[in-house]
This record gives sequence, structure tokens and C-alpha cells, in this order.
Amino acid sequence: MARVLNASYNDLIERAQEIFWIKGYKGLSVQELSKYLEVSQSVLYNKYSKDMLFTGSLDYYTNTYSDPFLSQLRASNKGLESLKLFFYELIDALKNKTFPKSCLMVNTIVELRNENREVVDRYDSYLEVLKDSYIVVLKKSYKLGQFKKKECIDNYADFLLGIIFSMSILYKLNDVPELRKYIDEQLSFII
Amino acid sequence: MRYKEYNPNKVLEKAIELFWKNGVNGCSINDLVEYTGVNRFSLYNEFDNKLGILYASFDLYRDRFCKSKFSILDGEGKLIQVLFEFYISFLNNSNPISGCYIIHVGTELADTDMVVKENLKSYLKDIESLFSKLLVRHGYSEIKSNFLSKHFIGLYCTAMSFCLIHTREEQKKYLLNGIQLILSNHG
Repeated sequence: MARVLNASYNDLIERAQEIFWIKGYKGLSVQELSKYLEVSQSVLYNKYSKDMLFTGSLDYYTNTYSDPFLSQLRASNKGLESLKLFFYELIDALKNKTFPKSCLMVNTIVELRNENREVVDRYDSYLEVLKDSYIVVLKKSYKLGQFKKKECIDNYADFLLGIIFSMSILYKLNDVPELRKYIDEQLSFII
Repeated sequence: MRYKEYNPNKVLEKAIELFWKNGVNGCSINDLVEYTGVNRFSLYNEFDNKLGILYASFDLYRDRFCKSKFSILDGEGKLIQVLFEFYISFLNNSNPISGCYIIHVGTELADTDMVVKENLKSYLKDIESLFSKLLVRHGYSEIKSNFLSKHFIGLYCTAMSFCLIHTREEQKKYLLNGIQLILSNHG
């Protein structure tokens, strides 16, 4: 109980994010959350609500896991080859459990859909940055002469957006070589 | 023999709604007792525990909510249209909740629960073979059909997650784009 006096909000968010990622939002009671964070339930009712910690966790996830990954992708210069490596890294993160579970944002979309406005705002900005990153890479890829249909860049980016969603299910059922093959084939649709 | 005072299928139907809405971890046995109106003793007697209810619910889901949707893939019509109708049938209002229960539960539990994982796997295999049959009927070779089916399964997974937050128009655009891109690969 004494710990809360020392724990900063950022520390709490970091811990909360770990447990939300594993349990989801609805699957985690305030009681369990308080136990995991080692703070009293009254703190969670009066100071930092479960909702607040959840949206904070989504932000933490974006800043810590997603943004660095995407900056690297945007700075890449091998076009489709860079995309392939990006998805291969995602497979590795999922398979060797650097990520405890599929993408937190994807899990949240499946779990909460459009139920909570604050959460929906976070999907929107997450997906916007993701799509924009794909467009950046596709434009470079086009310049490298890796595909012909320039007019399809937007459609291709939409198609690529689906990959983190399909991977979030498929990684549970397939091994690494199968998943890599799936990625290679998905990228072969860009012509 | 005593008559049961409840119908197990009705219980499972209610359980599907609750698991789908709140997640499996998000429902307690008390929630199930309250929502199904059947007492704890009878639920335990019939299904052993919460997971027993979950596992029993998969077959009912397929029977109740998937059969008619799967049969869309046996239908006549333009290939793109048939595929589109199939995907969109899961997103319209014929389900208790839009999307796919198996994907929903799989997202939550397939990492840790082997029964859920195997169920997810066999469910997707069944759809994949329906896709293959459809494509063969439309003149694709068996090899090509198997290749494309795998990617239509990928699109199914995406449709049952990403498309849940789309408007009707966005769903249509997204699905048609996906179907066309996959079919345009004749390599």
C-alpha cells in the first residue's frame, strides 16, 4: 500500500500496460489490477481510474513498441524488401514472445470495437500513422521500379494495413516458415 | 429420470452472447448464472465449469450462426460477389454481435488454451476448403485455388477484426479491394 506514494504515474502505466496486454480490458477486474500494480483499490477508484490507465497503456504501447518500429520502416530505402523485413520482425516478436500476445491495438479493436470514444480516437491515429508509413515505403518502392501500378498505392496501403490483423490470428496457428511465406505471398500481390 | 428444467442449447446461446460481449475472462460463473437464468449447480452438472460451457458453445455457434453463411460459398454468381457476400454476412446483423465468435475467442485465448486453438484451426481449415472448392468451380486449378484460399483466409481474419470498426461503406471498400487484389494475382 505504501508503494503508491513512491510510484509515479508513468511507472504505473508501464505496469498496467503489461497486464492489460495479457488480460484485455474487460477480462481484468479493478481488484486484479490493483493487486498487479500493488496499489489499493481506492487509488484506482479515486485517483487513477481503470479507464485512464487503459488509455494510458495504449499510448505507452504506441510510443514504446509501435513508433520506433515505424520510424525505422519509414527511414528504410529498400521498398518492398524493407516491408518484408518489417513483417518478419513482427513475426519474430510474436513468436518469441517479445510481445506477450498479438498487437495490443488489434486485440483492443476486437475486444472493444467502437464502444469507447477515447479508445476509438487512439485507433484512428494509430491506423493513420501505420497507413502513412506504408505509403511512404510504397512510394520509394515505386521509384525503385518494384511495381507498376502507381495509381494503386492507396489500395495497396489499405491491403497492407490488414496484415497486422491477419497475422494476429495466423501466428497462433502457423510456424515461422509458414508465416514468412504468407508475408512473401501477400507482398507479391503488389504488382 | 428427472426432466431438465432448462434447455442446454438455450443456455449455450446465452453463453455465446455473454462471452462474445464481455470476453471469456470478463465473465464469471455468477454472470453466467444471472444471464442464463440457470443455477450454478445445474451449470456445473451439465458442463463441469466455465470452460466446459465455452467449449460446448463452439458447435452450437457453427450450427446456429455459420451454416447459412457457409452455404453462401456454394452459391452461383460472380466470384467477387459471392466472396463479398460471404464476408459481409458476418458483419451484418444476423449475429448477436457483428464479427466472428471463433475469431473473437481465439484472439483472447488461443495462445494459452489448446482446445480453443484447435477449434480455431479446424474452423479456419473448413472455411479454407470451402474457398478452394468455390475457386475450382470457377475454373482455377487446384494448386492455384489452394494458394488463393490461404489468402482469402487471411482476409477473413482481417475482416473479422479490422472491419469491426469500419462503417458499412468502409467495410465494402476494404473487402472489395482485398478480394480484387488477391484475385488479380494470376502469376
